[in-house]
Amino acid sequence: METRRKNAARPLARLLTATFTLAACLALGAPALHAQPAQDTLRIRLNADIRSTDPGINRDANTDAVVSHIVEGLVAFREDTTVGPLLAQSVTTSPDGLTYTFALRPGLRFHNGAPLTADDVVFSWHRYMTPANNWRCLSEFDGRGQAKVLKVEAKDPLTVVYTLDRPSALFLETLARPDCGGAGVYHRSSVGPDGKWREPVGTGPFKLAEWKRGQYIDLVRNPDYAALPGKRDGNTGNKTAEVARVRFVVIPDVAASKAALLSGGVDLIFDVEDNDLPEYRRHPELVMQSMPTMSLNGLLFQTRDPLLKDVRIRRALALTLDVPEMVDALTEGTAQPNRSVIPRASPFYGRAQSGMPGRDIAAARKLLAEAGYRGQTIKILATKRYNSLFDMAVLTQAMASEAGLKVDVEVLDWATMLDRYNRGDYQAMAFTYSARLDASLSYEMIIGPKDRQPRKVWDTPEAIRLLGNSMNTTDRAQRQAMFDSLDARLLEDVPAVFFYSEMRTSAARDYVKGYKGWPMGQPRAWGVSLARR
Amino acid sequence: MSSSFLLYLLRRALWTVPTLLLVAVLVFVLMRLIPGDPAQLILGDAGTAEQLADLRAQFGLDKPILVQFGLWLSHMASGDFGHSLSSGEAVLPLLLERFQVSAAIVLVAVGAATLLAVPAGLFAAWKQNSLTDTVIVAGATFFLSIPSFWLGLLLLLFVGLKLGWVPVVGYVTFSQDWRAAASYLVLPVITLTLIEMGVLTRMARSSAIETLRLEYVTHARAKGLSELRVLLRHVLPNAFAPTWTLIGLVLGNLLGGIAVLETVFTLPGLGRLLVDAIFARDYPVVQGCLLFTAGIYVLVNLVVDLFYPLFDPRVATS
Repeated sequence: METRRKNAARPLARLLTATFTLAACLALGAPALHAQPAQDTLRIRLNADIRSTDPGINRDANTDAVVSHIVEGLVAFREDTTVGPLLAQSVTTSPDGLTYTFALRPGLRFHNGAPLTADDVVFSWHRYMTPANNWRCLSEFDGRGQAKVLKVEAKDPLTVVYTLDRPSALFLETLARPDCGGAGVYHRSSVGPDGKWREPVGTGPFKLAEWKRGQYIDLVRNPDYAALPGKRDGNTGNKTAEVARVRFVVIPDVAASKAALLSGGVDLIFDVEDNDLPEYRRHPELVMQSMPTMSLNGLLFQTRDPLLKDVRIRRALALTLDVPEMVDALTEGTAQPNRSVIPRASPFYGRAQSGMPGRDIAAARKLLAEAGYRGQTIKILATKRYNSLFDMAVLTQAMASEAGLKVDVEVLDWATMLDRYNRGDYQAMAFTYSARLDASLSYEMIIGPKDRQPRKVWDTPEAIRLLGNSMNTTDRAQRQAMFDSLDARLLEDVPAVFFYSEMRTSAARDYVKGYKGWPMGQPRAWGVSLARR
Repeated sequence: MSSSFLLYLLRRALWTVPTLLLVAVLVFVLMRLIPGDPAQLILGDAGTAEQLADLRAQFGLDKPILVQFGLWLSHMASGDFGHSLSSGEAVLPLLLERFQVSAAIVLVAVGAATLLAVPAGLFAAWKQNSLTDTVIVAGATFFLSIPSFWLGLLLLLFVGLKLGWVPVVGYVTFSQDWRAAASYLVLPVITLTLIEMGVLTRMARSSAIETLRLEYVTHARAKGLSELRVLLRHVLPNAFAPTWTLIGLVLGNLLGGIAVLETVFTLPGLGRLLVDAIFARDYPVVQGCLLFTAGIYVLVNLVVDLFYPLFDPRVATS
């Protein structure tokens, strides 16, 4: 018995030894995350991993940002959100607006050394237009959207011609859209013999070196990159890579990313949370920069809701809101209020868009009395994925209560909220729209027939008509008049109350030189250099 | 190995089948009950109804639920965990890769916690109701009460940022650079060790107190054995059995992923994979993760049960 007890103490030690041995073996075989970067590596934090490297296909904003460093399209958005040539040297539109002729820049080469030709443009286009590939913007060009692309031809090695079935004011804009992958042109070796995507072989300033899923994406400088002359300009202009390597490091946790930046674990966070700004500002070794983006945050109303279908209730709620005060609180004073759907950074943002109805509690009470409001609850859906949306809902609740409106806030996760948004299943919702780089597209996100597209917010026939006209007219003055009219009606109908376009604030270590945000909000590693001490 | 032992092993292994089947059904049904659609998340706020339908069809989400379940189950039975809807990656290799990261941290932390907690618990029990006992119990309760993310963040900010002793983000393998690997792992391991030490210390202490009251311990002392000998040879083996059961449960829980710590320390582990997949409604990954985790849980507890007779010979006899 004594011997058995004596022996019984030994398994504990053995087990612990085995445990540590097993752990060591696992650690030896586990995947690497962040090997020490070289001095000339720019490390940029991403809040989530990219979804793929296939431009415009299985994408999100992070994916678009990374892929835009590797693959380029014929045209791209400039800093001022107009469209300019990128791979194209020039774009010529026929007088009837049905034919677009793109002359390619001579001497361009893919990352594998192959020359870029019109055939590559046609190859990439056909892949985009193959329904099975689920290109994000397929419906914009296959007849379901603005104009159908009837054919794309390579006239000669450096000339591509697109033929449309009708004129479209948005054809080039849609080609340039980052969420469409900028209709990026890639070499056919990007795709395997089975038609499946392998990896991007593009013409961009950086090449894909390694993608360690969930961990990092490494890009290396393309030494043969043929940059446009001049300055960096949005997604076009001079895109010369100054650093030898870029590492997009996936750090989901906000606090961890802050610690990483402060300790030098990353060099740049391009999307600092507004409520973290005061803390970042206390660090002299960080350079902060804020830039208005084209995204839009606001409060959507379901105009078919039994209570909110009464425009007087919607107007009353809008009248209770002190929008400038709210925006100041929500963004730590970085953003300016905007009640229009058109972002301030848009060239179509003018006097008509800058109207800012004031807060008027008495008028709100009067409207509520006229509408026979009896204290029914209005429920606002919000999410904590974006803190500003939750705060927006809470501030609305507080301000509306002053006029006697009873508002509840229900918090959902982003997936559920998106589901409810798409089904139109809400009374009110604090929502954020991703950037739209044309005023028609900004309006298109809210206007449409609810019967066929329940996610649409505003479905009056006049709004739908004006939107349609703005998309088919290429005359700028006419378009501006239409947008002005839409903005006036938006304030009357109040299908939504928009507050502001998000400010994108970046924080970089002081040795990061040349980084600059832009209205799309995506990070750009070209034109950025490192001057580490 | 006796035939009865093999029979026991076989019986336990067979019991895992209905358990895992039940888990599979629950996981599948629960995921489908949660609102939200992976296709919708991929398309975002600008996807049209046509695009949504196309993507749903591509993912097979347009098929009836029972057909989807049947297909998934039949694939699982052949070892095919499917592909991630978000990234297109095969799920099983992804799980195994991420599991290695979580397991390395968990095994070291639980091993270290055991090494520290068992002697501490034993000592506290031996010194029951003394100042030493109070300090140990208070310390254990303190660490037990702290949320792991908070402790992790504190360590991250103080040790990583303020003192600059270790990097705050990153991970490399020991085979690449053992010094760097150790520096990346030290904070998550310390965090987890401290948290788990609290639970184990309390369990070890209470078990040891029970054992110390038994007559054979009094007999051993009466024989003139030293206190150290009494504790190590007579108290520890008996007191360790319940702690061993707890270790099994803790390991089973933690090996399923330490999502919070993995997020705080930016480690590419199983827990973070699961959380990301839930937010993305990536059904194959979530289902694969949970089934894998359930399998690990069952396996760990089976191993714990098999080792149990080493600490308590009565179990082997029965």
